[in-house]
Amino acid sequence: MSAMTVAAPGVRVLGVEVAEGLRAILREPTALFFSVLFPVGFFAMFVSLFGNQPAPSGLPVAATMLATYGTYGVVSVMLMNPGIRTAEDRTTGWMRVKKVSGAPVGATIGAKVIAALPYALLVMAALVAVTAAVAGPVLGIGTILRLVAVLLLGGLPFALISLAVGFVASPNAAAAILNAVLFPMVIASGLWFPLDYMPAFIQNVAPFLPTYHLSQLALAQLTGADATANVLALLVTTAVAGALAGWAYRNLRV
Amino acid sequence: MDEVLRIAGVHHRYGLVQALSGVELDVTPGECVALLGPNGAGKSTLIGLATGLLAVQEGEVRVCGADPRRAATRRHLGVVQQSMGLPRTLKVGELVRGAAARAGRAASAAGPVLAEVGITELAGRRSGKLSGGQRQRVALAMALVGEPDLLLLDEPTTGLDVTARRAFWRTITARRDAGVGIVLTTHIVEEAAAVADRVVILHGGRVVAVDTPAALSALLPDRTISARTGLDDVALRAFDGVLSVRRDGDRVRVATAVPETVLRAWLSADDTLTDLRVEGAGLEQAMFALTGEDIPGHDEKTEVSA
Repeated sequence: MSAMTVAAPGVRVLGVEVAEGLRAILREPTALFFSVLFPVGFFAMFVSLFGNQPAPSGLPVAATMLATYGTYGVVSVMLMNPGIRTAEDRTTGWMRVKKVSGAPVGATIGAKVIAALPYALLVMAALVAVTAAVAGPVLGIGTILRLVAVLLLGGLPFALISLAVGFVASPNAAAAILNAVLFPMVIASGLWFPLDYMPAFIQNVAPFLPTYHLSQLALAQLTGADATANVLALLVTTAVAGALAGWAYRNLRV
Repeated sequence: MDEVLRIAGVHHRYGLVQALSGVELDVTPGECVALLGPNGAGKSTLIGLATGLLAVQEGEVRVCGADPRRAATRRHLGVVQQSMGLPRTLKVGELVRGAAARAGRAASAAGPVLAEVGITELAGRRSGKLSGGQRQRVALAMALVGEPDLLLLDEPTTGLDVTARRAFWRTITARRDAGVGIVLTTHIVEEAAAVADRVVILHGGRVVAVDTPAALSALLPDRTISARTGLDDVALRAFDGVLSVRRDGDRVRVATAVPETVLRAWLSADDTLTDLRVEGAGLEQAMFALTGEDIPGHDEKTEVSA
């Protein structure tokens, strides 16, 4: 072993691959811009219409919308971007290069997930700014920071689901599949319109969806409600999605 | 160290298609082995197993004594593929430093390898702005930066011009001389003949011959007559004893087991005949004879100086 050999590369490879992902975003920021445009624009429209009305919880609607549309915005970017980028990497052959290298599977998957976080962070920063501009200071800084942290962490299982799809589907198919997963979950979890306005069968389906549990966890940061069941549901989702992504990577055809 | 690559009793299927049947192959440190064979012979499957991309169905595959499906084992490997997909947003230096990290080497290992491959001046250029030949040199640098014990080269010189090919093989043979084991697939038979210590000819998923390039070439009593001529291929094939006719630029190459008979007929029929040479059968003819099939792209002109 030569003097240039360094310690086992798990963490170092993770760092390198995260840096590669971030460089891709910084050097071609167009994808980042358009990823956040739709959820932020959608939110701006609704919060300007209803933001100053009181919600049933007593909080301004703008505050609860920050939690539910924040969930939608974070989930949309975390679910769409890693999978489509991964499918593109498979198409170009870059994934094959990584697969025959000494990169541990956990480092490659972990880096893809972490590299999706800037999208989510930008979405949340934009939503907070829009909320402040339209409805004023409806939440304290501490609550906002806690909400952002919870949504970023809670978005991780969606990035893993995205990767599992990206490891098996073509870029076009991945986009179609992930959209087909995203929008029904968003609607059936009450992220665009409150569940109270939804038909009963959708209200019955909602507790089986991870998006619902993330939005309830986000709302709990505002109301102080107990969210233990929501955390557990998200942990189970993370474990299942992680196992699925790991299996898909190990059996990757490149 | 014993073998850097050991393939023992390997069978592999894709559904109903038997891709490999009982393949045996050992590669020792400092040895270059070329895999030759027509399309579908099993070369890519063998490379896929050695790189860990494919799971072994039956038999044993070991790289430096360990399972190549494990990431730690693959740190002994350097791989150059025909068309390396490099992210267009990353710069050459970043790619090679990243490859060093994946192989467990310090980022400082990148500089000497960039110099060895002759692309130091490209270090700050994004891969999206590289030519095909430059990308292959970056791929080589990425393969070498981990100081591999085994290099797997899958059609590595596709897209390189003659000068770049010479430089490529100089680098590879220097590594071989330093003790690195090399497995090469190529459709350019002259390359295999020039750099390989042993040639493995695959056909239908089976190893049909293993020997030195010279020994395999000597299997055939045939000769090749090459010349410049005004005759077309139909006229040349009409001579008694002609086995095949090929064009190589402005030269024609005629294979035969009875060169004297063919030459008598050709000289009497062709006033335009010039620059006549008679040579022994080459590796390409040996492969053709052993497999009954041609190597795809065999007409590609090449010049190898290893």
